[in-house]
Amino acid sequence: MAGMWKEFSKGLWAELPPFRLLLGLCPTLAVTTTAENGFGMGMAVVFVITLSSFIVSLIRKIIPKKVRIACYITVAASLVVAVELLMQAYAYPLYQQLGIFVPLIVVNCLILGRAEAFAGKNPVHLAVADGLGMGLGFTLSLTFLGAVRELFGTGSVFGMEIMGASFEPVKFMVAAPGAFVALGLILAGMNYLSIVQAKRRGEPAPENPSTGCHACRACAGRK
Amino acid sequence: MREILKMIVVLTCISGISGFALSSLKQMTAPTIELQLLTFVQGPSLKQVLPDYTNDPVQERKKFTNPLTDKPVNVFPLKVDGELKAVAIEGFGGGYGDNIGVMVGFDPADNKLVGIGITTMKETPGLGTRIAEPDFRAQFSGISENEAKLKSQGGVIDALSGATISSGGTVAAVQDAGKIYGALKEEILQAFK
Repeated sequence: MAGMWKEFSKGLWAELPPFRLLLGLCPTLAVTTTAENGFGMGMAVVFVITLSSFIVSLIRKIIPKKVRIACYITVAASLVVAVELLMQAYAYPLYQQLGIFVPLIVVNCLILGRAEAFAGKNPVHLAVADGLGMGLGFTLSLTFLGAVRELFGTGSVFGMEIMGASFEPVKFMVAAPGAFVALGLILAGMNYLSIVQAKRRGEPAPENPSTGCHACRACAGRK
Repeated sequence: MREILKMIVVLTCISGISGFALSSLKQMTAPTIELQLLTFVQGPSLKQVLPDYTNDPVQERKKFTNPLTDKPVNVFPLKVDGELKAVAIEGFGGGYGDNIGVMVGFDPADNKLVGIGITTMKETPGLGTRIAEPDFRAQFSGISENEAKLKSQGGVIDALSGATISSGGTVAAVQDAGKIYGALKEEILQAFK
């Protein structure tokens, strides 16, 4: 149980996918024009990554080493098509909004990254915990980024008016450059937090807190 | 040799299972997706065809078999205060990217076009997508099917500059719907009397 919680919770903060591992940045930048879009995209990814971690972990012993990437991609692609069909059937407006970025989840490096680095080497319960944690971390990040951009770009969050009528929307924030600026500021904030935390613990401030392999256990060889 | 065989067998099995699962899922979701398309794509386009209809054309739609292709087509009746003002049929024509779907309304009294609405397109944003703008669509109101061609083809429609292929695709889609209407006219009028 403790192991499962550890694998689950690391995706929520220590290895938060878009802001710490900097994985899956393409949809992060592209679909976060509103909090709702970010949330919808995140939920699609949660579905795909949890099930793909589950299936990959289940069949990890019968997959030959040499074709493992092809197997992972097949699993992820099938799940993405399933998401696309379900989204068309039950959330058509969201499907219209996300458009091309739903099929592109197949090549989201987060999915393949977790399959290769974790699910292919670990038992099923840990793989599911890891996938769910990473997926939820991705959803939280996208919803947060979407909420920030929506708040400054249109003055509302989740379609609800927040800023009042006198607020002049900063159109820039919902356009493409706004995504880069908002992401950059959030990354800077994350790094600042890491430095403050390290200082409080009496450790020297990390030089580059959010990148570098030593910070990330995704690549650390586990049995 | 054993290793290669194992690779082939495993990958084939995985692909086979996914293919099977996906095709059953597609069959299961097909009716729901069709309903969603009706609500979110074809429904709004009917508003562009004839803005002031008072009935619920999506509810009252009827399925016919297109005698030209043997495929089913949905026909939507547009009524104002119970009187049939137009029947709308969706036609398709090749655009710059994928087919353009156009909902075309025909006036059953004189067979002229009432108006058109764009349902689906993957045209270049800002260029081809201008076919959905009211100025371009308005050209199709009140003309006969024969006139609904580009000026270069002997019709009355001005192509959008910079979007000739998209304009041509729209016209082709209108012609497509016109053919279906022509073939099914008697049946349709009978059904919606």
